[in-house]
Amino acid sequence: MAEEFNLGQMEEETEAMLRLRYLTPDTAAFAKTAGGFVSLQTGEESYPRVQVVRMFPFSEPEKYVSIRTAEETSREIGVIENLGTFPKEVREMLEEQLELRYFTPVITKIYQIKDEYGYAYFDVETDRGRCRFVIHMGGNAVVHLSDVRILISDIDENRFEIPDVTKLTVKEQKRLDLFL
Amino acid sequence: MILKFDLSKEELGALALEAGEEVLYAVPYDCSLTGRYVERAFTVVTGTRLILLCGGVKESEYLLADYDAVKAEPRINCGVLYAVKDGQEFLLVRYSSRHLARYAYVARGIALLKAGSKERACSDENEKSCFVCGRALPGTKECPHCNRKNRGVIHQMMELLASYKAQMALIVLLMVLAAVVTLLSPEVQKHLVDDVLHRGDGNYPLAFLLLGGMFLLGIGMAAINIGKSYCCAKLGSAIAKDLRSRLYQKIQILSLSFIHDKRPGELMNRLMHDTSRIRFFMENIFCNLFTVCIIFVSVVVYMLVLNWKLALIAFILVPVAGAVSMLWRKNIHRRFRLQGKKSDDVHSALQDVISGMNVVKGYGKETEESDKFNLYSDVFANVQKRNEVFWAMFFPLLSFLMGVGVYFVIFSGGREVLGETMTIGELMQFVNYTSLLYTYLGWLNNMPKQLMDLITSTERINDVLSQEPQIQNTEKACKPEIKGAIELRNASFGYHSYDPVLEGINLTVQPGEMIGLVGASGTGKSTLINLIMHLYDVDSGALYVDGEDIRDIDIDYYHSKIGVVLQETFLFSGTIYNNIRYAKPDATEEEVIRAAKMANAHDFICRMPDGYNTYVGEKGSRLSGGERQRIAIARAILNNPKILILDEATASLDTESEYLIQTALERLTSGKTTFAIAHRLSTLKDADRLVVIDKHRIAEIGTHEELMARRGIYYGLVTAQLEMQAGKEESVPA
Repeated sequence: MAEEFNLGQMEEETEAMLRLRYLTPDTAAFAKTAGGFVSLQTGEESYPRVQVVRMFPFSEPEKYVSIRTAEETSREIGVIENLGTFPKEVREMLEEQLELRYFTPVITKIYQIKDEYGYAYFDVETDRGRCRFVIHMGGNAVVHLSDVRILISDIDENRFEIPDVTKLTVKEQKRLDLFL
Repeated sequence: MILKFDLSKEELGALALEAGEEVLYAVPYDCSLTGRYVERAFTVVTGTRLILLCGGVKESEYLLADYDAVKAEPRINCGVLYAVKDGQEFLLVRYSSRHLARYAYVARGIALLKAGSKERACSDENEKSCFVCGRALPGTKECPHCNRKNRGVIHQMMELLASYKAQMALIVLLMVLAAVVTLLSPEVQKHLVDDVLHRGDGNYPLAFLLLGGMFLLGIGMAAINIGKSYCCAKLGSAIAKDLRSRLYQKIQILSLSFIHDKRPGELMNRLMHDTSRIRFFMENIFCNLFTVCIIFVSVVVYMLVLNWKLALIAFILVPVAGAVSMLWRKNIHRRFRLQGKKSDDVHSALQDVISGMNVVKGYGKETEESDKFNLYSDVFANVQKRNEVFWAMFFPLLSFLMGVGVYFVIFSGGREVLGETMTIGELMQFVNYTSLLYTYLGWLNNMPKQLMDLITSTERINDVLSQEPQIQNTEKACKPEIKGAIELRNASFGYHSYDPVLEGINLTVQPGEMIGLVGASGTGKSTLINLIMHLYDVDSGALYVDGEDIRDIDIDYYHSKIGVVLQETFLFSGTIYNNIRYAKPDATEEEVIRAAKMANAHDFICRMPDGYNTYVGEKGSRLSGGERQRIAIARAILNNPKILILDEATASLDTESEYLIQTALERLTSGKTTFAIAHRLSTLKDADRLVVIDKHRIAEIGTHEELMARRGIYYGLVTAQLEMQAGKEESVPA
């Protein structure tokens, strides 16, 4: 704690934060830990567990992935510009971590939407399985990411995505009409 | 929030509990580690084990003793629970946002278990949705649908109306009268047609008598309606006012924790919106409730008695008309909701651009912005046009459909009249009753929604009214003379029990001592002060004031002995005079002037045109931060508190006012137990002792010199601030 207020070090850290350090297959060695997380060895530095974070979770989920330290006030270790540049097994390892971090089921089918007294009750099929959830009718439960792509937040702050509403059947679109 | 869900027999069997082992926490998890939804899956914690169940089968189990800690980590719209062993972390289970808070409590519960504490994690937070019916809860503890304790609306209404018996009786009487008059009118008409017009024998006296009767009934109807509306409006407002003041009173005595748990604006909503919903119901729905019911039932009975065949013909279309009007209502509701939404879009687009106009102009984006706005505007206009056309086309159609029953009655009735089994007057009466029936049908259709609105509002109000304040005077509450000795013994506290802010605090403060509280933001300095002010109770451990447990001291009495000066001084709407007198309303002018002088406030007050009578607050004169601060100090001086709280009292002030306030504070604090928080450490130079709080605990304690000599956290803070100061001065060109 004391060193946090060491001015010299703080300046150093600020400088370090300005650098955009790219991690490549040559400079970064990721490994899976026994507990199901991922560790990183890069140059002299070694991290027993790192966080894998998307910078553009909606527009570029596979690019610009920030690798950060595990603690709550995490610090960036480096950036992967494109996950595709890493060998398959590493990529899968990192994707598994991303999968663990983000949970935004994609709605593939709408069975029913019932609105009642200020709440709407959804019964949908998602890529993660069937799900029922409730949203507030007022407020900003439905956000448009683009003309066709929407994001729905339920009362528990879960989020659901519909990548392209025009791909739903006419009947399903009609059910959703009120929220578009 | 439920932390121990009921497990089925089969699931309990799968746990294979040993003798003496007991399920302490059982919470669901709803997705697998690979992100698939799972059903009936639980994380179960017993005294010794953590077991994962899925579909009634044990997935895996972990011995708590094998691990150093179990932690819940929030992720994006989900969370994971992991265990730590020798610095290695092991993923246990994953859950969606629905159970995020639940797992935080469970992790805390496991930490308590591992610490050997008998305490269990428990949660006062409300569930988001009802486990019985699956409906979302309107921010209440009980579900308005499933809460059988209240035995429905009637019971709730009765409770609400109990204190207005006389008014109620009058309204019921008026409602019955209104029904009788409405029903009588067609009856008199019948006689006019049958006994006068149809016979054609020129019985003028009877004609005048009947016409007079109809006239009187018309006037009577108007009078009754006026009286009824007046009484209902009066009753509605009275009930709303009554509920509002009860709610307000309750909110005032409820502990801060209750208020902080609610979303901002929610309590305001309950106070204003829900009470006016009840008023609306009383004025517009209740007012006609009995009238409509009586008319409906009597019309049906009367028609059946008069001519049951014709009555059945009239009723045949009732379900159809009911369904049509229900569909219509739904459709219209949807359409206009959509219109409202689009109108909101236009509004917010407009607001966006207007408030950011300088940015738009600065980057020369006018054309893009107006294109964007036109798009929203077009969409809105289209929706509006569609809706108006729809309304214009289908509303006449609906009215026609709703009236179709009458044609059937006229047709069949007309045949009976021709066959002379029925008189013309009777047919007219019948037709009149049929239209009454259809008129009120729409009204009754709307009832369920209105009733549900009422139940929800009543539930939300009852939810507040039934709360027990967490901090309450105990039976042995006393009013000892307070000298200002404060002692915290092993005190722990957190706003949520899963997230302790302060842990194991031990601190003894002598009367008259000044304590400076130091630490980074969010370490619990303000929380410690909240505990000393007894706005919250410690979760464990104890706090003693002059050797007396704080819980045994009368709350109001204790608060009257505390003075508070905060960074942002809140002035109530009113005069400076009244603001200074806030804590001691009976203070004389002289006392107030003395206090203001001590606070270095007298001079600037005298310079104002209205002196001490200057109106301040939301709509009053604007005072500078330093001036407000000095009024707050005068307020505290006047109250002559034994314990004084200064929370960043000198932050964000210019040098001159800081000097004035500093000297005013010196006068105020002399001889009083003082707790001061300041980020600028130089302002704590007068403190007798400094307490450094770090990581939820007291890290260092001692005088300035002692702490500097220790070269610990405090030393680091002071040197950092000095260096920053020096750095600033260097960068200013001489």
